[in-house]
Order: sequence, then C-alpha cells, then structure tokens
Amino acid sequence: MIGFIKKDLAMIKSNFKFLALLIIVYSFMGVLGKMDISFILPFISVLVMISTFSYDAYNKWDAYSATLPDGRKNSVKAKYLSTILLVLVMTILTTILSFIISYFNKSINTEQILITMCGTIAGTLLVLIFMYPVIYKFGIEKARIGMFVGTFGLIIIGGLIITYFDISFSSKVLEFLENYLIIILVITVISLLYISYKISERIVLKKEF
Amino acid sequence: MENVIEIKNLCKKYDNFELKNVSFNLPKGTIMGFIGENGAGKTTTIKLILNIIKENSGDIKIFGLDKKYDKKIKEDIGVVLDDMFFPEILTPNDINKSMKHMYKNWDTVMFNNYLEEFNLPTNKQIKTFSKGMRKKLEIVTALSHHPKILILDEPTSGLDPIARVEVIDIFQHFIENEECSILLSSHITTDLEHIADYITFINNGEVILSKTKDELLDNYGIVKCSKEEFKKIDKKDYIKYKKNKYEYDVLVSNKKEFRKKYNISVIDKITLDDLMVIMIKGER
Repeated sequence: MIGFIKKDLAMIKSNFKFLALLIIVYSFMGVLGKMDISFILPFISVLVMISTFSYDAYNKWDAYSATLPDGRKNSVKAKYLSTILLVLVMTILTTILSFIISYFNKSINTEQILITMCGTIAGTLLVLIFMYPVIYKFGIEKARIGMFVGTFGLIIIGGLIITYFDISFSSKVLEFLENYLIIILVITVISLLYISYKISERIVLKKEF
Repeated sequence: MENVIEIKNLCKKYDNFELKNVSFNLPKGTIMGFIGENGAGKTTTIKLILNIIKENSGDIKIFGLDKKYDKKIKEDIGVVLDDMFFPEILTPNDINKSMKHMYKNWDTVMFNNYLEEFNLPTNKQIKTFSKGMRKKLEIVTALSHHPKILILDEPTSGLDPIARVEVIDIFQHFIENEECSILLSSHITTDLEHIADYITFINNGEVILSKTKDELLDNYGIVKCSKEEFKKIDKKDYIKYKKNKYEYDVLVSNKKEFRKKYNISVIDKITLDDLMVIMIKGER
C-alpha cells in the first residue's frame, strides 16, 4: 500500500507549489484581517487528490494496478489514506498559521480556531466520503457532474427546508450537541469513512478493466 | 514437462464478442507466441489470465495455483499491457520508489541498470518520452522484480528495429534461467519466429492452433498450384486454401506426406504471417 501512496503523492508533487502559494496568500489575507480562508486549503487538497483519478483513468493505470500483488485493495486503501493524510497535514498547517496570525493580530480565539479546524476536516472528508465511491463506480468525468448536481441539489433542498419548515431544536438537544459535538463529529466521520472505503473497495474488487 | 500456465475451456462473453473454450498450456522454461488478428481475443485471454476480468467459465492455473492465490501468483508475474499504463506525470524514479513497496523482490539496482542500458532518463516525466521509450520503461519495470513468468501484450509494438533486437535479447536472456517462461502476444511475427518455442493462434475467440514452433515451421507448408492441380487434392489433405490471381495457395500440415501423395513440387516454407493470412482469409 505504501507504494501506491508514494505513487499518488508523486503525482501531485507538481501541485505542491500551488498549495504553498495558497498558504502564502492565506497568511497575507489573515495578517491583513481581510477574511478567513483556512478551510480552502484542505478543500483544495482533496480536489488535488481527486485529480489523480483523472491521470489514472487517462493512462489506464487501474488495469495495471489490478495486475500487481493485492493491487485492487491497496490502490483503494492508498487513495483514501493519502487523501486523509493530505487533508490532515493541510488543516494542521492552516491551524498553526491561524494561531500565529491571531497572535500577531492580538485576537487569539482558541475555541474558534479549533472548531474551524474540526469543521474543516469533517467538511473536506465528507467530499471524499461521497465522491470516491461514485468515482470508482462511474469514473471521474461522471462523478464530477454528479458532484456538481449533488451539491447544487443539496443547497436547494436545504434552502427549501429552512424556508418552508420551522425547524427548531429543544434546548436539551442544543445543549447535548454543544457538549458532544466534537465526539459526534469524529464518530460520524470515521464511520462514514469506513463505510465509504468498504463500498469503494467492493466496487474495485468486482470491476473489470 | 511442467506447465506454469494451464488454461482449460476458458469462456468469456461480451455483447459483440465471445471467447470460446480457449485451452492451452505454457510449459516452464519456454516462450509462447500468442498470435491472431486484432480483436481475435488475445488481450481478453491475457486479461483473464491476469485476473483483471472475470471468466464466465473455465479454469486458469498459474504455477498450479488457482485464483485464490492471486496475491502470491502476482508476486512472480511481470506484466506489459497493450496500452501504456504509467501515469505520464511520473518519472522512472517515482516508479522505482513506488514499485519497491509493491513487489517483495523489487530490485532497484537491476531497474537502474536497465534504464541505463536503454538510455532512459531517470528524472524526466514519462510524458516527455517517445512511444518506444515508454514501452521500454514498461518492459524494464516488468523485469525488475525477478518474475518467473512474463506476460506481455504487444511488448515490441512501437519499438524501432534496434530497440526490438535489444528487447528480444533481454527476453532470451530471461529465459536462460529454465525456471522462467514468457507468454508474448505480438503482431510482429518475425520476432516470434526468432524466439518462440510454442505458437498459439487464436481467431475469432477460438484457439485454432497451439503447437511447437518447429513442428509448425518444419511440417506446415504452402502448396503453390494451378486450378487443375488444386481440383485433384483431397479435401482432407489440406487445412485451407486461398485463391490468388494466377494460382492457388494451399495450406498443408505435413509437407512430406503431401509431396509423396501428389505430384506437386512447389511447396513453400511457411512463415507465421503466411499462416495467419491463409487461416483467416482462406477457405475450406
């Protein structure tokens, strides 16, 4: 599996300069106090990882990887792990930068930074959770369209629900969420990741190239 | 002789193509040339052997093991597929770094030596390589984990004559170790005439011939005869015939017997190209 991770990371190394530039832009905007774009870096790192599927598809790598020892399983495992790795590294990096920037701006809000960090990890991993099985099943091109339609659909449905239904939680529910939000988030994301990974693995094990 | 690949009654059905009861064996320490026109079923058979597509029925055993031992089997197989398969933004160095974790027996020194031998740069992206260079890199990668079988789908296509000779030399060197075997599909049948021990010919999804190369080239022949002479030939004494402008080409499986029976002296030695053309285009 390490071999597949190395291959995926080697494929995105040309994007590292772009990510480094984003970090500089982020730091600059943060120091100026213009806006918080800390979520963008991890999100873009997922998109960068998704681009490796395009290279794989274009060069028919998947058929070859199926000829390698345990190639089908390891290629899926590696895609998930390298994406998670990249998201975590990027999030930790932006979080450290957030602390440094707020120190210089004399406005450290630890709780806010940590909540942003957790939200960013959960949000970006959700992209992976829903996208990867779709990519493995239908290919990268169709999955891209699916992602666009899905996101657009969710926004519309969410908007309609908020507009037409009066959604309110009891104070007990809100209190529970406030106390256990992080734990709920972690358990939910890890469970979804596992389910998503298992679905992808099953698709690839059955796939003919 | 021990067989490293045994295929029995292999079937695979697609909407527009069917592989029908394909059977053949690859004996240890030999090279088998797998020939047939485009779309005959060579790549499908190779993909089935490599377990990257699933058969509808039939048995495949590699080293005497079935698919349950897929991981173990694949440690000992070197592969070149018909299409290029390395992401072209990688460099040979990246491939080395990845492959050494993918194969237990990956040999970095051997890989680098081959790169040097073939004048392949280590740090340039594959997208800057010519088609021939890409093919060489694929062959080098297939060889660098000390496989016991090489399964190669059109490995010499796109190579210039010099590179083809270099590659064929490497295949011959590989086979010097009698534990090693090669299954090689190719359109360039002259290469196979040089190196193959066995020839398996597939047409329209069916194996129509699987013999030693010597048996084929020594015994088979093409009888050149007139229409009148052809009419005298018993149908059971030839395999297929092809009508040309001025003469008939008749494929026979035993030149000596034929010569004894008929008074026709012009029997040409057969080439694999002749064999393919007459088997596919000929009539019965």
